[in-house]
Amino acid sequence: MLQERKFLKGPELRDIDDYDFPGFQKALEMGPEAIVEEISKSGLLGRGGAGFPTGKKWELAYQEEGENKYIICNADEGEPGTFKDRYLLDERTLKVLEGIMIGAYTIDADTGYIYIRGEYSRQIEILEETLQKARKAGILGEDILGSNFSFDIKLVRGAGCYVCGDETSLLNSLEGMRGSSRSKPPYPISKGLYGCPTLVNNVESLACSAEILNQGAEKFASMGTEESSGTKLVSLSGDINFPGVYEVEFGSASLQEIIEDLGGGSQQGQEIKFIIPGGLSTPIVPSDNLQAEYSYEGLQQAGSSVGSGGMMVISTAQELSDILTRIARFYMDESCGTCLPCREGNKQIYRIISEAKYAGLTVDRLNLIQDIGDTMQEAARCGLGRSAQLPIGTILSEYKEELIEGGNLP
Amino acid sequence: MINLTVDNKEVTVEPNSTILEAASKVNVNIPTLCFSDDLTVYGGCRLCVVEVEGSDRLRPACNTRAREGMEVKTHSPRVREVRKTLFELIIASHDISCELNCLICNRQNSCQLKDVAEDIGISRMCLTPGADEERESDHSSHSVVREPNKCINCARCIRKCEEIQGVGVFAQASRGPETKVTTFKDRGMGNVECTNCGQCVVSCPTGALHEVYHMDQVWESLYDEQKHVIVQTAPSVRVALAESFGEEPGTIATGQMVAALRRLGFDRVFDTNFTADLTIMEEATEVVNRVTNNDNLPVLTSCSPGWIKYIEHFYPDYLQHLSSAKSPQQMFGAVAKTYYAENAGIDPEDLVVVSIMPCTAKKFEASRPEMNDDVDYVLTTREAARMLKSVGVDVCNLEPEKYDEMLGVSSGAGDIFGASGGVMEAAVRTAYNMITGVNLQEIEVTPVRGLEGLKSAEIPVTDDLTLKVGVAHGLNNAGIMMEKIKAGEEFHFVEMMACPGGCISGGGQPINTERSWREVREKRIAGLYDIDENKELRLSHENPKIQKLYEEFLQEPGSSKAHKLLHTEYVTRGVPGT
Repeated sequence: MLQERKFLKGPELRDIDDYDFPGFQKALEMGPEAIVEEISKSGLLGRGGAGFPTGKKWELAYQEEGENKYIICNADEGEPGTFKDRYLLDERTLKVLEGIMIGAYTIDADTGYIYIRGEYSRQIEILEETLQKARKAGILGEDILGSNFSFDIKLVRGAGCYVCGDETSLLNSLEGMRGSSRSKPPYPISKGLYGCPTLVNNVESLACSAEILNQGAEKFASMGTEESSGTKLVSLSGDINFPGVYEVEFGSASLQEIIEDLGGGSQQGQEIKFIIPGGLSTPIVPSDNLQAEYSYEGLQQAGSSVGSGGMMVISTAQELSDILTRIARFYMDESCGTCLPCREGNKQIYRIISEAKYAGLTVDRLNLIQDIGDTMQEAARCGLGRSAQLPIGTILSEYKEELIEGGNLP
Repeated sequence: MINLTVDNKEVTVEPNSTILEAASKVNVNIPTLCFSDDLTVYGGCRLCVVEVEGSDRLRPACNTRAREGMEVKTHSPRVREVRKTLFELIIASHDISCELNCLICNRQNSCQLKDVAEDIGISRMCLTPGADEERESDHSSHSVVREPNKCINCARCIRKCEEIQGVGVFAQASRGPETKVTTFKDRGMGNVECTNCGQCVVSCPTGALHEVYHMDQVWESLYDEQKHVIVQTAPSVRVALAESFGEEPGTIATGQMVAALRRLGFDRVFDTNFTADLTIMEEATEVVNRVTNNDNLPVLTSCSPGWIKYIEHFYPDYLQHLSSAKSPQQMFGAVAKTYYAENAGIDPEDLVVVSIMPCTAKKFEASRPEMNDDVDYVLTTREAARMLKSVGVDVCNLEPEKYDEMLGVSSGAGDIFGASGGVMEAAVRTAYNMITGVNLQEIEVTPVRGLEGLKSAEIPVTDDLTLKVGVAHGLNNAGIMMEKIKAGEEFHFVEMMACPGGCISGGGQPINTERSWREVREKRIAGLYDIDENKELRLSHENPKIQKLYEEFLQEPGSSKAHKLLHTEYVTRGVPGT
């Protein structure tokens, strides 16, 4: 029976008087270079979805020269099916704060931002209170804990735009501009917020970094597999009995075990059709592949990826055409509209799919969606556009016959 | 230097060059839409994607730097497939209807979508064209109409207005397929700080932006036998009109244009150059007076209506620096409705004054209440070409004819008004004479010529006076010049032109999609200097018809009659929302 492996999870941690920031204390003793080494050694990969090595990111940001440097905690958790950052902000608030402070100290940033999803009103309240108390306690501000390091954090509330979870769009939004992606290069590490070197990390990556300094890179690296160190917070939802946020050690379980042992299996014993393992923008894993190991390499073998860890379980009780229409609608509405393949491609895919809901899907139409999807993947400007067709594309190719034959006609 | 291969051809480029630049070096044409050589890279249309060996996805050629050893394939099967789908997506985003189709589009001959269609070789569509919603056209401006139903969101207008003109009236709003280009609070171009320069029009790859047409009104006047319809032609029109009939930019077609306009039915064909000379007389007089009295220096030129609206919005504290002289277009209108009407025995009510301008802002200028409807209708060079085509006239095949004399004789100084630095040069030629009583030995003031954004020169006039002059073109440069003036840099006289290069690349000129901006501008400018060089009469004050006008009607430059007719005032506008 699979058990949670608790590295990040723990009792509610919000009272600043009861917490002495052990990770940050350690960071101050170690100095930036040793911190970078420690994070690199841990093998932590960015938990927002892209999976870029956090240590490498910190190293690059540390090496950047600049009068002003910024650190941004990306708390714009908008990937459908993902709610693990909300848990961390709720329950492990001080770990997140600590992670930001360690990152800031490492790259020598004097200002940090938490860019938080606008709908997270409870978490916004919690953060506001936490930041205020931290300032009062001298955890933020001038000469923190007598270290000569000064740093403060501003909380910025997003305005409900999915694409702002993409770091370049987030930067535009922070600067007061329309939330649309920036062309890369330059990368935010060298030219980010207001043109200054900027480190953007996901909430979970930052909380993980704080724990890594606290508990040691070795401990983190000892968990998981060769390529996937540590644990991952999985947001489990869909047609299961116990949805929630679970911490899973990489390599310790199959998708099936996560669903059965942690999620309590499918609702009312319905047959599972497929899962979307890493947030909406990852390819589906059909039910016959649920033995896949939960790790970066395991999911890659299964044709998908860890993504944000937002695992959605879909049973046969759901209408495929409903699911397709909703996914298509989501991406159409959330495209920032800057680049043509994403703006127009998602619109056309939505049109074809919503028409097909009543008229049935033909082979021609299906191929057309595939063509548009390929074009988006090849040519879109940012990650949203490039991955938007992944769930739809994989559903269509997996259930091609069902969709074309049945057409879901009433 | 960086060595790479493009379609198996070896090419060497400067560091930081893009793949697009490398490809053009070996004459490989990569289709683009949102790219424009005078603007920052946007990377929105993605049509320029290419295959780079070792890269997991296609890369935009406009925004990918060439690297040592790179192997680029610009037209591989993979690239062509993606490009075709992309193109289809653009076409499918529009409704093709009675309202919206290529046959009646203002850009039927200069549409970049059509160019790209040809480049890509698309021959069938799988997607059904159709817009989600009809979007209302913006008719709020006197000069420019926006038809959002033809907009492809390439953001060229946005970037042009912001980067080259330093104004920024456009922005994108909404997201997803609802993304649109709009103005502050959707107020419309006529209700924001738009200068009417029309640079957005010439930047647009499609027909989404065009001038407010006066063609129908002009047709009506021409058909009305009660009306005496006269036309004036701005300096820059003669070196650009022939482009609409397939000639090279800069082709001089003055005489053919005059002949063509007679065929169209104008009762008299006159020249704005004549009143350009008149403007010089009035403006140079003002400059001489103000320099002598150290009165609100520098004097700023006032003939570019885009610049006038710009200063009214952004630097209203400096309005008293503007020359009070009206522009040549408006001086023409004022003289035509008085002097000409009297002489020809025509009731000014029955006189219709039409101008052909390289400019969209001239339409706004003519509508300013201060201008008393002296100019009734303003056609752009493009509109004039369309009207000529619709009566079967090919400008290039006509025998040249001469302007009607009374308001049609001009000096070379009038011709060069259309090039950046030209007004300055023309004014200096005459002001020098006004102060010293003799003409400049070397009348060509070359330091103020050319496409450098900011220019200046010092012209020794007397032992005590060296005239310090400045020139800026493109409103962003005008803004830089204003900041210099604000910061205390001293000039006697500064020429400001709204459009980059001056009127020759005004917002009303033919749109050339095949050549670089620079090339088109240089050729048109060369055309104007050619005309000047080959004219015997090159000084405004020596124009016999101008001398006659003063003798018979206006008395002398700066007289009270001249002031009443030929001078104007300006309005403080500020910027909405600030």
